[in-house]
Amino acid sequence: MAKRQADIVRGTLDLLVLKTVALEPRHGVGVADRIAQITGGTFKVGAGSLFPALHRLEQDGFIAGQWSTTPEGHRAKYYHITTAGQRKLAADKKQWARIVLAIGQVLEAD
Amino acid sequence: MRILTRARCLWSTLIHKERLDRDLDDELDAAVAELTTRYIAGGLDAHAARRAALHDLGALHDIKQEVREARLGAGLDACLLDLRYAWRRLSNAPGFTAVVVATLALGIGANTALFSVVHGLLLKPLPYQDPGQLVFVWLNRNQVGYTRGPMSGPDYRDLRDRTGSFADVGGIWATTSVTFDGGSEPEQVRSAYVTTNFFDLLGARTVLGRAFVAADASSAEPVILLGWDLFQRRFGGDPAIVGSAIQIDGQATRVVGVLARDFRLLLPPDASVPAYLQAFTPFWPNLENGPRRNLFMRVVARLRPNATLTAARDDVAAMAVAVSREIGTPRSFTLAGLQDEGVRDIRAPLMALFAGVGLLLAIACVNVAGLLIARAAGRAGETALRVALGASRLRLLRQALVEGLLLTMLGVVAGIGVGIACVRLFVALAPPSLSRLTGSTTIDLQVLLFTIGVSACWGVLFSLAPATEVFRAASRVAPALASSSTRTAATPLRYRLRGTLIVAQIAMSMVLMVGAALLVRAFDRIIHVDPGFRGERHVTFRIAIPGRLETREAVNDFVAELQRRVRAIDGIIGGGAVSHIPYDDLPNWALPYSLEPPIAPDAPSADTRAVSVGLLESLGVTLLEGRLFTDADRDPVHPVVIIDDLLARELWPGRSALGRPLYARMNHERATVIGVVKHLRLRSVIADLSPQMFVPFSIAQRNPIAFMFATAGDNPAALVPRIRAAVASLDPRVPIYEPRPMQEYIDQARSTRRFTMVLASSFALAALALTSVGVYGVLAYAVAHRRHELGVRRALGADTARIASAVLREGVGFALAGCALGTAAAAIAGELLRTQLYAIEPTDLASFAIATVVIVGGASVACWIPAWRAIAVSPMDALRWH
Repeated sequence: MAKRQADIVRGTLDLLVLKTVALEPRHGVGVADRIAQITGGTFKVGAGSLFPALHRLEQDGFIAGQWSTTPEGHRAKYYHITTAGQRKLAADKKQWARIVLAIGQVLEAD
Repeated sequence: MRILTRARCLWSTLIHKERLDRDLDDELDAAVAELTTRYIAGGLDAHAARRAALHDLGALHDIKQEVREARLGAGLDACLLDLRYAWRRLSNAPGFTAVVVATLALGIGANTALFSVVHGLLLKPLPYQDPGQLVFVWLNRNQVGYTRGPMSGPDYRDLRDRTGSFADVGGIWATTSVTFDGGSEPEQVRSAYVTTNFFDLLGARTVLGRAFVAADASSAEPVILLGWDLFQRRFGGDPAIVGSAIQIDGQATRVVGVLARDFRLLLPPDASVPAYLQAFTPFWPNLENGPRRNLFMRVVARLRPNATLTAARDDVAAMAVAVSREIGTPRSFTLAGLQDEGVRDIRAPLMALFAGVGLLLAIACVNVAGLLIARAAGRAGETALRVALGASRLRLLRQALVEGLLLTMLGVVAGIGVGIACVRLFVALAPPSLSRLTGSTTIDLQVLLFTIGVSACWGVLFSLAPATEVFRAASRVAPALASSSTRTAATPLRYRLRGTLIVAQIAMSMVLMVGAALLVRAFDRIIHVDPGFRGERHVTFRIAIPGRLETREAVNDFVAELQRRVRAIDGIIGGGAVSHIPYDDLPNWALPYSLEPPIAPDAPSADTRAVSVGLLESLGVTLLEGRLFTDADRDPVHPVVIIDDLLARELWPGRSALGRPLYARMNHERATVIGVVKHLRLRSVIADLSPQMFVPFSIAQRNPIAFMFATAGDNPAALVPRIRAAVASLDPRVPIYEPRPMQEYIDQARSTRRFTMVLASSFALAALALTSVGVYGVLAYAVAHRRHELGVRRALGADTARIASAVLREGVGFALAGCALGTAAAAIAGELLRTQLYAIEPTDLASFAIATVVIVGGASVACWIPAWRAIAVSPMDALRWH
């Protein structure tokens, strides 16, 4: 299968962002890099989706932003996951597993 | 929890908008910088690297916009979605929404308005210092029929000096008027005598100068204290007036101070102290040693901080016993809290009205609940579908709640409007007992909170009705989907519940309707009471007798000439001078009388008025015996008197009163009865049956003097300018004041009853309208649900009359059941109104009959549309359904 960029399945961006910042605090560009890196470039998150998602998650209290300095010496806003975010991540992971299973069953049943 | 977090974030989003925007700018700049660094590391020059970075990020402006929306949306989304959904559902059914909002507005508005009145009168303390300590003291003259009367100077002194319960005792007498001579136009103003401690006792503040001090009572120079309005109007608010001497009644009088703008004189309505007094002077020096038989002082006392009203009553009673023994005649006093006393006659009707308006709110709420149940039932299919598609019950409940609350809030907003309009109406009806409300015609904050509290509770309650449908739907997803429930007949249980609600509603309306019918009929009796005189076309005014007229004869000539000139005006057909205008709020004369001299101190007294020649004729009194006054009755040594039939019957039962001697305390005590007239209801339209005497004005003059002239036209007030001119032609320095049509006094005398009646009728009509809507709603619902059945019946040959009568029978059945229940309830509740009724009993059959006819009539009209719809169902409908 040719390597193509896939649209991020609707509603999964939050899950990806949470998962990404759960490992270690990252700034916006860092989150995008990490998602692209892990999926081997399959998912490329544009700034127009990423920043609103970050802020929405921050607004909801799932992640929290803090200004800090990058290794290169720039100032950047680093996001880390909160306790509420961890709970949501666990719940969303389970939900995702169910969806994958269900879709898999649908596709296999013929 | 989540909701709180959201609300907080939303709050900070809105409040810290600028800081958040700056933060976002910084964050995006940092991202640009980060990417630029990478491109430079990858070998691009700085300029190209930055362009590439910007290209990667896309339009910064759009990103910012989307971030802002995301932040706002995160706070709002759920609530906003529910709200938007609720709004859409409501605006899709404008008729339903309008009916519900109007219903709520009526219930909430009427309640808010009446609660404003109840709060303003019964609950809110009087605007005086420690008002709870203030008591009003009456002289109890039970032996002559007045338990609440004024007292004499010595009584006042006894109360102050011989009791231990009072911190202070003050007195007032609003009898006189003063003429402001200075300046361009002489002007007359009603004034009152006060004890010098009176304003300190109330805790009233002066804005300029000072209140009276003890020395003012005996000061050689007359002093006066002004009200704020007079100070503004007459003296243009010039502070220099305080401390200076102005000409009053031809004498240089020093203005000691001006009362605060918000000061109001709020004494009991029957204390004969008008609220609008604007000028005050100290009592004369020998007040406290005056004769005990001169009863005029209205007394307010302040309890000591640790004293109770009960203890003060005992204290005063003990003092009265001791005084009675000393002076040889019984003395007793009636004490009441100042605030309670002020609302004595309006409290009972207000509480009855409050109960009535509570019923109205209950009816409104039942109506709304019924409408919401019907609506939810109509949506059972939709709800079931949503449950099947995975909507959580919580979500559905929340939506029902949001919809209910949105409706309630619309109702509250409309209700506040209705409430403000109602308060204006109440004040416009203006019984004297409500005078405290004027000037504060707005709804206060506490009342508003009360309303919002009540309606929020109802909002939740309303929402529960549809919520039950949510669970019903949830438990029966499959059957509901299989046949959308709008097609099935109404479930018996749900229909029975609504039927019960309707019957309860009709019963409540019946109670209100009976109450209103009773009050309307009582008021009708009151209007048709024959007061013994006809004053509807009289115009009244007052003048102060000029000080230059020093002898009785000079005054008589002046009055006769004034009377002659006014009567010469085209349109004036009669009239003359009187000491007291009927139903006025100034003190009356009550003169003790006796068949034998001397007059005992505890002799009964009669309401006495001095009238000039021609006045009784113009009032159309009924002369039973003898004659009325003539110009010849001027002899003060052998005075004559006219009495009413009550007094004649009491003194000379079965015999003629003419020519008999009557001893009354006037200038000379022996008077001869020259005429007997039918009793005139001059003090009160309703409860005035104390005996009366009329004496010639020529021998019992009163200053200020009032005039009543009969006019030929329907607009007595139109003649006032010509009367003013006629009086000015006699003496330009004598202004007429308080020109008012007699009808105003008559209306005023009936105003408390009218107030109660108009309000009760409005509530009853509103209840009728709401109940009719309710009946309509339940029948329309039933018909809609039985379209299929009705169609089948039509197809099988049932005729339209039978179908229509089935629907009508159902509605009228509800109405009759409700009326029966309501009659029982009204028979009990009617007792509440007993004090407000006149000449009819609370069990008045006609009132119950009227109420039943109106309610059943209203219900029948409400049945008509559903019945018509039922007829309109065509047999084809039944076939098309499946």
